[in-house]
Amino acid sequence: MAKKHKFDYDLIVIGSGAGGSAAAAIAARAGKRVAIVESAVFGGDSPNYSDVPLDAVRNVAEIYDRARHGAKHGIRSTTLGYNYPSIRTWKELVVARTGAGGNRRYYEQLGATPYTGHAHFLTPNEISVNRRHLSASNFIIATGSQWIAPVIPGIDDVKYHTPRTILESLRPPKTLAIVGGSSVSFEIAQLMATFGTKVYIIEKEDRILPTLEPEIGDLVERVLEETKGVTSLVGSEVVAVRNDLGMKKLIIKRGGSEKSLKVDEIMLGCGLRPSLDLGLENAGVAYSQDGIKVNSYLQTNVPHIYAAGDCIGGQFNQAHSAILESRVAVHNIMHPSQSISPDYTATPTTIALSPSIAYIGLTEAQYLKRGLKIKTAIAPLNIVAKSNTTDFRDGFVKLITNSRGVLLGGSIVSPNAHEMIHELALAVKYKHTADDLAQVPHAFLSWSEALRVAAAKLS
Amino acid sequence: MEPKSYVVKSHGRRELQEFSRDKLHHSIVAACLSVRASIGQAESTAKIVTDAVIAWLEDKPEVTSQDIRRIAGSKLQTYNPDAAYLYKNHLSTL
Repeated sequence: MAKKHKFDYDLIVIGSGAGGSAAAAIAARAGKRVAIVESAVFGGDSPNYSDVPLDAVRNVAEIYDRARHGAKHGIRSTTLGYNYPSIRTWKELVVARTGAGGNRRYYEQLGATPYTGHAHFLTPNEISVNRRHLSASNFIIATGSQWIAPVIPGIDDVKYHTPRTILESLRPPKTLAIVGGSSVSFEIAQLMATFGTKVYIIEKEDRILPTLEPEIGDLVERVLEETKGVTSLVGSEVVAVRNDLGMKKLIIKRGGSEKSLKVDEIMLGCGLRPSLDLGLENAGVAYSQDGIKVNSYLQTNVPHIYAAGDCIGGQFNQAHSAILESRVAVHNIMHPSQSISPDYTATPTTIALSPSIAYIGLTEAQYLKRGLKIKTAIAPLNIVAKSNTTDFRDGFVKLITNSRGVLLGGSIVSPNAHEMIHELALAVKYKHTADDLAQVPHAFLSWSEALRVAAAKLS
Repeated sequence: MEPKSYVVKSHGRRELQEFSRDKLHHSIVAACLSVRASIGQAESTAKIVTDAVIAWLEDKPEVTSQDIRRIAGSKLQTYNPDAAYLYKNHLSTL
């Protein structure tokens, strides 16, 4: 006799982004009856609106920028130009090639049943999607996050961009004011400035990228200003916004005085807020405005409901962390007696600038604040031979060890920093010393030589 | 144009009922009048609260009656806290 199912599905995943996709795929491959619900575009933020399209356009910008500045290397580039609609077409091709971006069939091929619509809990085991009731024995909530608009008088009357929408512009604006200095703000600033936009970044804090090592903020500010003409207005606050003869006028309070700034476009990059409007009260799931409350196994206060990704508002909000959490959540659902917690040790955070930034662990100041005895060493990039052959000198590697020389983390500002960081991640994860790292031969004419030099200083 | 949303009733057989702007409006007015708000104030508060609930319903074809109570109650809290308390707890208030 066929087994009678109590619920429609074994698992319903709400959200098809990085936090949901991995879980749906793993459970479907294991033979579970899985549904995945997406309210917007299948694939979620990373392939459709953030990481992938941004990286595609950034690659074009880098090609353009290098060619534009190629005169001293013998490249004739006086007639160089770009066609922004073609760049957008390239971006859309890249998104399509990911397979996941906007592609419902991708999830069907994984073995999950996709549903498009806003999921809303009716009871702890039942959701409504476009008035269709779906029930499941387990749920993973992976609804991600959305950009927040700060409370600024007049902001609702002015058309503004977020990092999600700015790449959809028909062409780069002549002038752009970015309100809020999140890491994505600087990525967009550099990108738009490369295409000729005059960019202003308005940041409340007294220095840019305040949560990172101060050397990084100083370097980014200098590089963006010197090479791209980006103006960073730190210690500044936007107190009003209004339309002004086809332009947008911002009133900025800075150092006790008010100044105005007229720009073509405004982008808000103040931060992200977890997306939680899915009737969590009807399921009894506890949450705050910072995110859904989960235990170390990513389980909510309702035992059969788990959450992963940006909606739990954790410390790490990049796609690779959401994928890790997605895998952990589905493992814990499928193997409840062998529950595991996500291991964030050595999780890298990256900022896709030129030079790119990648870091692991805390900053030097944060370790000292915790009373830990640490040692640090910095290797400037101009110390390695690659710096000479590429004529690139802005950047450094900073490593931090404990008093016994065991690597705790570090920061890399260099071309390919997002690739180099994994060597450090491996060393930190498996508690290697700086001496271990220094003993590994590093290829001549690689940027990674700077890692060995910094490690040697600590060994 | 108002979104067409349905409300899953919480008691009995969980039947579906089309969301009614008038019904919500009247219940907000009644809560305001119960705490001695003037008729004009009650009507204007009810309009603001009802508009906010309708805006929230825009992307939600189906919600529960508790959802309506929660969203309307939290909006009403801003304009008339006493009426909001009564509105949220009228089932348990004698």
